[in-house]
Amino acid sequence: MVRINNYEVIDGLYYSENHVWVRVERDIAVIGITDYGQKNLREIVNVVLPDLGVFINQGTVLGSLETVKAVVDVVAPLSGIVKEVNEKVKSKPSLINEDPYGEGWLVKITPSNLHVELLRLMDFNRAIEWHKTLT
Amino acid sequence: MSKSIVIIGCGAAGLSAALNARKTDRNANITIIEQEEYPAYSRCALPFVIGGEIKDINSLLAFSPSMYKMMRIDLRLKSRVIDVDSKSKTVMYIDHQSREENLHYDSLILTTGASPIIPPINGVNKRGVYVLRTINDCKSIIEASSNSKNAIVIGAGLVGLETADALYRRGLNVTVFEILPSILRASLDEDMAEIVKSSIEGKGVKIFVNRRIDEITGDDRVDGIISDGERFKADMVVLATGVRANTELAEKIGVQTGVTGAIKVNSRMETTVKGIYAAGDCVESRHIITSQAVLSQLGTTAVKQGRVAGINAAGGYATFPGVLNSMVSRIFNLEVGSTGLNTLQAESYGFKVFTGSVTWKTRAEYYPEAKSIRVKLLFERGSLKIIGGQIIGGEFVAPRIDSIAQAIQSGMTVFDIIDSETCYSPPLANTWSPITLAAESALSKIKVT
Repeated sequence: MVRINNYEVIDGLYYSENHVWVRVERDIAVIGITDYGQKNLREIVNVVLPDLGVFINQGTVLGSLETVKAVVDVVAPLSGIVKEVNEKVKSKPSLINEDPYGEGWLVKITPSNLHVELLRLMDFNRAIEWHKTLT
Repeated sequence: MSKSIVIIGCGAAGLSAALNARKTDRNANITIIEQEEYPAYSRCALPFVIGGEIKDINSLLAFSPSMYKMMRIDLRLKSRVIDVDSKSKTVMYIDHQSREENLHYDSLILTTGASPIIPPINGVNKRGVYVLRTINDCKSIIEASSNSKNAIVIGAGLVGLETADALYRRGLNVTVFEILPSILRASLDEDMAEIVKSSIEGKGVKIFVNRRIDEITGDDRVDGIISDGERFKADMVVLATGVRANTELAEKIGVQTGVTGAIKVNSRMETTVKGIYAAGDCVESRHIITSQAVLSQLGTTAVKQGRVAGINAAGGYATFPGVLNSMVSRIFNLEVGSTGLNTLQAESYGFKVFTGSVTWKTRAEYYPEAKSIRVKLLFERGSLKIIGGQIIGGEFVAPRIDSIAQAIQSGMTVFDIIDSETCYSPPLANTWSPITLAAESALSKIKVT
């Protein structure tokens, strides 16, 4: 883990410019929001996540996060079928703020085109460089 | 097809409009066009950056550009709108690469803000004369102050005094000039203003009221000013003589302005042209007590009006109740706040007023950290309703001002205030709240039949 301007970036994850991270665990991809994303949104009060079994496309909206003052879409970093959604964050959205890379994960999918699509995401080193450009 | 909402100006009102439009309509195309190179930031914080209390100027940004992307708000910085065709609903603007672009809108929101008034004083264009409105102004003042010993601030309103405080913190000798008979005249009665003035002067900062500036002197660079024939030395001068609503674009496209010179809007923040909304420093507001059009030009007003404009522009329904112009400020370690009408304003609107004041302690008297606080309340004769409040003190002024504003908005009388329950614990509050006591003091002055 490194800290760039007070924002954590974790080794072993892939990142999209929509402040979404992916952790590949064998044939499953876990998806969540980055530390930069959650810190800049501030306290998340409502989470909308997709239904199980739904197919999501890379680059399309998979859900949304709402704060008292703003709402953002979560853009799918990969394509695949939704295998599991984090019921805990639905009832306690602040988990995303407390532990964005752990307990605050959002969905798990079975990726349909993992190796090609991963190339469009940033790896740890590129994510570090990218975080340095963010104010 | 998704609705297109275009917002001109990314200040407090513009951003608030965008966020609330997005909350109201998840599919709308939302675009903000902004002249400055920074998206919405806290202008109110700039004096505290100058004073060195806030170190990182980037922390003033409400959201980084990357977060706008995440919210699907299309942010076009360093872009200047040149015209709007309200028939074809098209905005024409010059983008950051000097290209002319057209943009269609279904709803347009004008949040064009306000600009500092430059008073007609000889020498006002000399080098070393500043205003404080933008991040770049702030940077210029910081730079100038590092090579200056003596600073003069023209204007003893909120921005003037907060800037004087900031320059004092940077170690400069500061002198303030005010053309009116008292400081903070839009907020405080003269008796209250005098307390603030003495407190500032106690720090070694001179304040001259009732003083006109004849000239800003110096060859190319400022070296001082002449006021009523008297010469004062200065290495830098800050003009803080108020702001004027930016209405050029609005007027060009046929949007009406009102008696205050700012854009006229209804309670849904609609202008006189269909499909065009406006909010923030560029509009005039309805005063909650008098129902008359007034200028507010406060950050809190901007975000609330922006919210209403954004919801309505996106197809929702919201209304803005008007303003009391509640304000709070910390000037040289003294907290100052006011809400509603002051005596001068009340009398100019034809109100017959009675007032009550008290100087009290913020916590139990015997508690070591108790601070002195002075509360003044204004009531209308006849109706006995509260119409204004002013507080000066060491701590907790802001929430007290809010509670007075709530009392005004809910139409409370002097009796209602005396009867209001208050909380108490020695380290936090006094057995009697100073607001209750000020109301009792007011009541003692009138004969109730």
